Amino acid sequence: MMVESILLVDDEDLFHLVFEDACSLLDIGVSMKSVKSADKAASMFKEWFESGKHKEKPECVFVDLNIIGSTFDGIELVRKINFEYGNHVVIGIISSSNDEKEQAKALQAGAQFWLVKSDDIEPRLERFRKDYPEFKNRTKEFTVYK
Amino acid sequence: MINFSQETIEQLITLKEDKNVFLEGNLLRLIETDNEEFSKYIEECIVHDKDVRRKRLEVTRQVQQQNRELLNLNDENQRILEELQMTLTEVEESKKQVEQAKTEALNDLDLLQKKKQTELIGGIVKVALGVITFIAIMSTGLYVFAIIMGKETTNIGQAWNNLFGILLTNAFSIVGTIMGVKYANKGKN
Repeated sequence: MMVESILLVDDEDLFHLVFEDACSLLDIGVSMKSVKSADKAASMFKEWFESGKHKEKPECVFVDLNIIGSTFDGIELVRKINFEYGNHVVIGIISSSNDEKEQAKALQAGAQFWLVKSDDIEPRLERFRKDYPEFKNRTKEFTVYK
Repeated sequence: MINFSQETIEQLITLKEDKNVFLEGNLLRLIETDNEEFSKYIEECIVHDKDVRRKRLEVTRQVQQQNRELLNLNDENQRILEELQMTLTEVEESKKQVEQAKTEALNDLDLLQKKKQTELIGGIVKVALGVITFIAIMSTGLYVFAIIMGKETTNIGQAWNNLFGILLTNAFSIVGTIMGVKYANKGKN
């Protein structure tokens, strides 16, 4: 099952390219968009929520944990999307950190997965792709891909 | 999903064969066709696209790695710079301490010299006062002895008078000089 649309929120331009190519190679997503700041992503979700344009929302959102240049971190963005802007997306954290305390916070904020970012990201994305239908149906519990 | 006309399909296949130009990107996953030749073309395009993406991914990763190394080197440089700064601060601090110690040593030396000088003056004064007191006692004793014994006291009386006058004058002069020297040195110490 392919993801219709993916939104990546990450401050690192190079990782946008890596993520896009890796997703494309693994046939994960059809449409992909990247933004560099949590504030920008939050304002996009706010607009979709307030205007009722839920169809414009991405199907799945990958949020970096520490987004340099943003006024809040990735976990706060996940919380805002889940609790303030209507949810309806598969959302999780993508980070080089594997901190269990942060993972617990992400779970509390409503994240469905935590994907550890490293050079060899494809095997993790492959596992995520297999689990994706369950995430979409909300039948899979919080999963850490490391 | 997207469907292409037969004419477009032929143009795309010709473009690939003549100029090696392929369709690329996620668009390929949205194309639907019953045309066997075009299906084969799409598969070739997907293989080509994946090949290009794989190469780009490799290059991007190398750049990421180089960036990371540069960042680490930058951190290392920053650390060395901070260490150098700290060492420089310590050297300057030591220099200040040495200069302070030198100033203190010079002050101590000056103080020692003044102390010795004062001690010397004190010694001279003690000896002078001793001599004055001895002569005063001796001359007074001699004068008293002459009076008691009923001897001629005119000369010795005048001599005692002159001598005592000179001794008192000199004694006050010495005391005045010492007081003056002490007062002058008071401000410096």
